[in-house]
Amino acid sequence: MATSMHKLSARNSKNRLWLVLLIGCMLASLDTVKAQERTVRETVAAAAAASTPGEQREIILTLKAKPSPEAVKWLEKWKEGGIFLQKGEGDLVTPVLLTGDADRDGGYATLRVSDNSPLLGSDGKAIRINPKEVEFADTDSGLRRAMKEVSDLAALANPDTVKRIRAIQDSAIGQKQEKLPSLLLLKSIEKDPGALHALDEAIAIIQLRSPVVAERIGACTKLGEMSSIPASDTIKTILTEAVAAKDTATIIAAKKALIAIDAHISRINAVGTAFRGLSLGSVLLVVAIGLAITFGLMGIINMAHGELIAVGAYTTYVIQNIFATGLKLSPLGFSISIPGMGLSGSGLAMYFAVAIPASFIIAALVGVLLERSVIQFLYKRPLESLLATWGISLVLQQILKFIFGSNNVQVTSPAWLSGNWTVNDIVFGWNRVFVISFAVLIIVITWLVLNKTSLGLLIRAVMQNRNMAACMGIRTERVNTMTFAFGCGLAGLAGAFLSQIGNVGPQMGQLYIVDSFMTVVVGGVGNIMGTVISALGIGVADQTLQQYLGNPVIGKILVLGAIILFLQWRPAGLFVTRSRSLD
Amino acid sequence: MSNQPITSRVQLPSLILSAVFLVILMPLLNSFGLISDFTLGNWGKYLCYGILAISIDLLWGYTGLLCLGQALFFTLGGYMMGMHLMRVIGGAGVPTFLSMVGRTEWPSFFGPFSSFPFAIAMVILVPGLIAAIFGYLAFRSRIKGVYFSILTQALTYGAALLFFRNELLMGGNNGFTDFRTLLGFSLREMSTKRGLYIATAVLLVAVVAACKWLTNSRFGLIQRAIRDSENRVLFSGYATANFKLFIFVISAIIASLAGALFVPQVGIINPSEMETGKSLEAVVWVALGGRGTIVGPIAGAISVNVLKSWASSGATADFWPLMLGGAFVLVVLFMPKGIMGIPEQLQGLLKGIGRKKENTKDLSPSPILSDESDLLSSGSTPTGES
Repeated sequence: MATSMHKLSARNSKNRLWLVLLIGCMLASLDTVKAQERTVRETVAAAAAASTPGEQREIILTLKAKPSPEAVKWLEKWKEGGIFLQKGEGDLVTPVLLTGDADRDGGYATLRVSDNSPLLGSDGKAIRINPKEVEFADTDSGLRRAMKEVSDLAALANPDTVKRIRAIQDSAIGQKQEKLPSLLLLKSIEKDPGALHALDEAIAIIQLRSPVVAERIGACTKLGEMSSIPASDTIKTILTEAVAAKDTATIIAAKKALIAIDAHISRINAVGTAFRGLSLGSVLLVVAIGLAITFGLMGIINMAHGELIAVGAYTTYVIQNIFATGLKLSPLGFSISIPGMGLSGSGLAMYFAVAIPASFIIAALVGVLLERSVIQFLYKRPLESLLATWGISLVLQQILKFIFGSNNVQVTSPAWLSGNWTVNDIVFGWNRVFVISFAVLIIVITWLVLNKTSLGLLIRAVMQNRNMAACMGIRTERVNTMTFAFGCGLAGLAGAFLSQIGNVGPQMGQLYIVDSFMTVVVGGVGNIMGTVISALGIGVADQTLQQYLGNPVIGKILVLGAIILFLQWRPAGLFVTRSRSLD
Repeated sequence: MSNQPITSRVQLPSLILSAVFLVILMPLLNSFGLISDFTLGNWGKYLCYGILAISIDLLWGYTGLLCLGQALFFTLGGYMMGMHLMRVIGGAGVPTFLSMVGRTEWPSFFGPFSSFPFAIAMVILVPGLIAAIFGYLAFRSRIKGVYFSILTQALTYGAALLFFRNELLMGGNNGFTDFRTLLGFSLREMSTKRGLYIATAVLLVAVVAACKWLTNSRFGLIQRAIRDSENRVLFSGYATANFKLFIFVISAIIASLAGALFVPQVGIINPSEMETGKSLEAVVWVALGGRGTIVGPIAGAISVNVLKSWASSGATADFWPLMLGGAFVLVVLFMPKGIMGIPEQLQGLLKGIGRKKENTKDLSPSPILSDESDLLSSGSTPTGES
């Protein structure tokens, strides 16, 4: 007992030293520390040169006083067998790195581990070493354990909060009691609330395996309060053990904790499903909003809507390549080369800001072309507009294939889109956040255009009663063209948006066409608000069914069936545009 | 409205002649080696498509219901026949499509399909029942025009998603293939193929005759009245929903029979046959041939498919979608009555030239369109009021 106390205090004092240095490390005053001590390189060199494994371990463990990423890097190198031992006179051993290319004899240039200077022979010339002829610094299990201790500590002291939190969480795995002191110490100096939370959790999880019963119960209660998901499995084992041992207090605490954790998990799932549903709904919304204009307001069954989405996506692709290294296309054997601006990094990342308006404009121009050439003759024949626009969609698809080839093209999305944001164990992927905000943006733009501009006023007037509007002196033909172009432009925006989260190919539009029509029909034709609500409703319903059935396709089929039944109840969709007319 | 009285004097003999040619002469010529086996096989396919086209025309041309789900009924009929053909292959164990998903025995619903009459009953019943349920729901709540088209498309889309799943035990995206025999005759024998061709041609002739009779009856009159103005028919005291339901079920069964004959001839059935594009393609045949006529859709189906098998291989393959799509746009814009309407259009054009001197203030895009505007706006509400 006394010896163990002694050992503990010894470890504490060692840890206190480490704590002081850790604070120093966090205050970024590494340089002064360096000046006083052996550098990391020198330590590693000394350790590699030490004669017995015991000695080596002792020296390595001194690195714990200053756990830096650099130390981790050197230890990794050592473990990989990258440090070679050049034997000099007597017992002198110099640890070196090999660099550069091999010469004829298989020799490499050398660099001392201790100070990065070349190793010189007695004649003053640089020595070249053949790695086959010298030993490399080996490791045994004890040494690797010591190295692991150093690198674990280094991770815990990582100045990057995210990485530090991950290291803290990792340290709880296996519930090794000997990790407790260092975590407790870290807790006393940690300031970041996220890291503190992780520390509390990790400490409690380790305490679940504490030899003291009261501590175990305390940890259970605490983890229950924290609704800690990683602790769930351990608490379950503890519960079975406690049941076997008839330890009532532990049973109660563990059961309570498990109930709290389960409630938390189902809460997370519900919020996660709602969030995924919302983002799927936003995708539907963005894809369908253009159709809500061309089909909903104008009555054109635009089967080429999907291809206009593809036009927008390909515009994004072209803009991206213009910002990067340029693009070579060969439609029908003609070779077209578009020069690039050769940007990279943040300059290249700006391409999306240009691609958004560009995809709108290009798709809108295609829309003008279609309206003037075909659709203007079909306003009174909606069924035939369906057929003609399907023909157009075939033609557009084939043109896209001619220009860009029939394979998918690569559009790189910004790196930040793949990150996520975790609140209370609920993961919000940035791509989904982007999806939702983009949808909000598009809705706001559409609403503003339709309700706050004079063009919007004309659009609404013509769509409500084309003949009356014409009598009032509105140039309905021009308004028709503008409206159709606006709807197509919105489809182009949807393409720019889909290029960031999905594949870009000539057939990409076909994936969305049925869904967009369903969205508009359910929402009620001629009503933008209806489209918004129906898109979000379909999205959430789809994700909820998926969550319960665990099968995306069956979920989708059920949604389609539900839509057909829904239209029984409300044949004209959610929002009916009332009129006294009868055909 | 209808052009039957004008052309029926010419039509009947020529119809009988073509029937004799298709049913008797083609197989005869084939057995003498004047028509290659390959050509006869292709024509068997075209005639199946022709029957499918008639089923669309019954709905669209005569009743004003543009159904984008006919490919579903066609494929369902094919699957029912496919189930029978798979069942009679025989041999030990189960076919790959079942062993692939870990089944060692036939699922129970395959059992009765080893009987040919049962399979034929299913070819009629399954699509008929689906059409009846869907049609009842749709027509009861008075879903029409564009909404009907979009809903039938959604139905087809949902069914295609379902059939692509392996769990349905219908072969997933590979479907059924490698058929051996039908009613004990080997499907690889030319005589069996010829028999199938004759069966198809006979079915086509029967369907044409039945449709002729149906559309010239009082029923056909109400059908066309529904197409032209459903509300007036409704106000005259007819339950239009029942009429529409009847014709919807009938045309589903016709499409299904065509599918059932199609499968043993091409030797494969898979869910790609019911993708949304397939229904639209069949609608193209009808539009090109001339809707509202019986012969038009067949002519459209055959001519488009002859063109397709010529153009969609080799160097012109890439241009086939361009041709199909472009032709479709042009037909919709300039030939609303398709091939069958050409003589009438030429007549109208000649008259129009004569009239133009008196009446120059014609605002519509072409004289043809304005003459027929009554027919063209059928089955839809004027956009300004919807």
